[in-house]
Amino acid sequence: MGSLFAVLIGLLVGAGVFLLLSRTIVRVVLGLAFIAYGVNLAILTVAGLEDKAPPLLTVPGPYVDPLPQALILTAIVIGFATTALLLTVALRAYQVAGHDDVAAFGDNLAREQDSTDGLQADPEHQSPDQPDWSDAADPAGRTL
Amino acid sequence: MSGPLLSWLPLAPILTPMGLGLLALLPLRRGWRVLLSVGGAALVTLFGALLVGATAQGAVLSSALGAWPAPFGIVMTADRLSAFMSLLAGISGFFAAWLLAVREDPVREKYHSFALFLFLLTGVQLSFLTGDLFNLFVAFEVMLVASYALAVLGSTREQLREGFRYIVMNLSASALLVLACGLTYGVLGTLNFAHLAQRSAELGPNTTVTAVGILLLLVFAAKGALFPLGFWLPGTYPALPPAVSAFFAAVLTKVGVYALIRVFSTVFTEEDLPRTLLLGLATLTMLYGALGALSQREWRRILSFSVMGSVGYLAYGLGIGTPEALRGTVAYLAVSVLVTLALFLIAAVAERASGSREVRARGFLEFMPLLAACFLLCALTLAGLPPTGGFIAKYSLVRAALAEYAVGGGWLLIAATVSALLASLVTLLAMLNIWRGFFWGKHPREEPVRPVPLRERLPAYLSAGLVAGLALFGGPLFTRAGDTARELSVPEHYIRGVLGDQPVVIPAVKAAPVKDSADPAPASPQEKP
Repeated sequence: MGSLFAVLIGLLVGAGVFLLLSRTIVRVVLGLAFIAYGVNLAILTVAGLEDKAPPLLTVPGPYVDPLPQALILTAIVIGFATTALLLTVALRAYQVAGHDDVAAFGDNLAREQDSTDGLQADPEHQSPDQPDWSDAADPAGRTL
Repeated sequence: MSGPLLSWLPLAPILTPMGLGLLALLPLRRGWRVLLSVGGAALVTLFGALLVGATAQGAVLSSALGAWPAPFGIVMTADRLSAFMSLLAGISGFFAAWLLAVREDPVREKYHSFALFLFLLTGVQLSFLTGDLFNLFVAFEVMLVASYALAVLGSTREQLREGFRYIVMNLSASALLVLACGLTYGVLGTLNFAHLAQRSAELGPNTTVTAVGILLLLVFAAKGALFPLGFWLPGTYPALPPAVSAFFAAVLTKVGVYALIRVFSTVFTEEDLPRTLLLGLATLTMLYGALGALSQREWRRILSFSVMGSVGYLAYGLGIGTPEALRGTVAYLAVSVLVTLALFLIAAVAERASGSREVRARGFLEFMPLLAACFLLCALTLAGLPPTGGFIAKYSLVRAALAEYAVGGGWLLIAATVSALLASLVTLLAMLNIWRGFFWGKHPREEPVRPVPLRERLPAYLSAGLVAGLALFGGPLFTRAGDTARELSVPEHYIRGVLGDQPVVIPAVKAAPVKDSADPAPASPQEKP
């Protein structure tokens, strides 16, 4: 049982790392999710995969240790929140860069000298709710 | 202060900004939000100062949430180091909130930059005051989620690019941290720092524990921006608005360093490999930070690289590992936080005055002599020249390294020391570049000098005043740092403070096999020679 889980964790994390190294934003997000699943399984495995009673005092023991499951639950909740946030950022990046390839972002330390980028919030991107370009004023002809 | 109040004190700096942050989410007018964020940060500073006062005699405060006793429930603990860090974070938070309040930014404020800032402060305080490893992960996440939002708030192209990289980097590190928590629980059967320390001392040197320690080292090195893992830092911080970047630079990397100190001087005291690894990483980080600073031509990029450099010095002190070196590390923590804060606030004023992020407007010595004086003081502190606090701290670090070498340290100690000295020199050169490019020379006539209101300059002056205070009150600072280091090198003190004098007894119901407390003898002292 343990070795099966080990292989499974390895597969999940391996797939996650592979996706993480991709240049497409959505794949990066999916990769992080895979890694999180692998890690959660790892916690479950480390705590011991034994056939024991649930930790209820009405049931006769020996009981399974509930703490790792509490840890996993917390990690899942936090992972859910961070994935949602990352997806929002990814969507925003797609809207601003017009591309879902991280190469569209360019290099940071070789930035053009007189760019005013980042000094003030960009007035053209006031709100995540409004698309950045309308059909009429789109010189590049980008579409969602 | 009386007993019950004292046991609640470690919770105060966490709950205050959290509650005020929730209030700041309400549809209030700007004035109220400013009051909430600046007032909240001031209150946190006050609580931090109270904590420092309460732990000055060596008390370890511990508040058990829901009254569950220590190794089973969640506890907030404050020893000398935690209280010290809490105060430093409070001070940085106050100045950053001040700058956030005086720099109006309607777009970002509409999307709750004040509330996010308070949540960030909550997460930072929680990381400093938490008493168990998993809660440290939760604290990191609270801090990081707020920092992710602040990093991309405003949606400039640069912010999104850097923010995305920052988020992905930190999420990967967080996944490793959860894994390390799980493995720690699997090996040692507990997550409470004090109980972990006790159990790892009972277990003695153990390869599995070493592996978990290395994993934790990697995670905290990524958060604290040590050399190969800190590549995200010099791009991310300059992309942020000035107030936010000042707080990020001053405090966020130090959270990683704090975690390193806590884990490797309280919990995993048996291991030598992490220490050697830290020393090696520090050697590279110091040089990388200094050379990177020299290579850049923008105010906050230069300073961001120097933040990396100063993390290198902290890792260097931790890598040496003697109580004397720890004393230097704790003192340098204070120096590093305050000088980074002051330099970023000065950079905010300079960028506003010259209208450019580049260091190229010359002759500002004429227009802003006081700012030039503040900058010079901070630059000398960062480079570590006398008579500043930076010199005192770096001197004690190098002296500790040489003393350790004299009693039989490896060649790595000498390499790290050479790197430390060389990096100081290169940092000085980078700072002189700013001085030459911005303050010295003759101002070109066609470039306008924009007026900067006093309310924006004042935080820079005051924080530079604090940096001067580090030199003036170097004696008390070092006494305190020495006490902290002594406390850190005797983990039993922390263990007794949290768990009490009695050995931990697992309640009568059949216990999990890993939670073995048959050995009632307290752990033997594990002082490093």
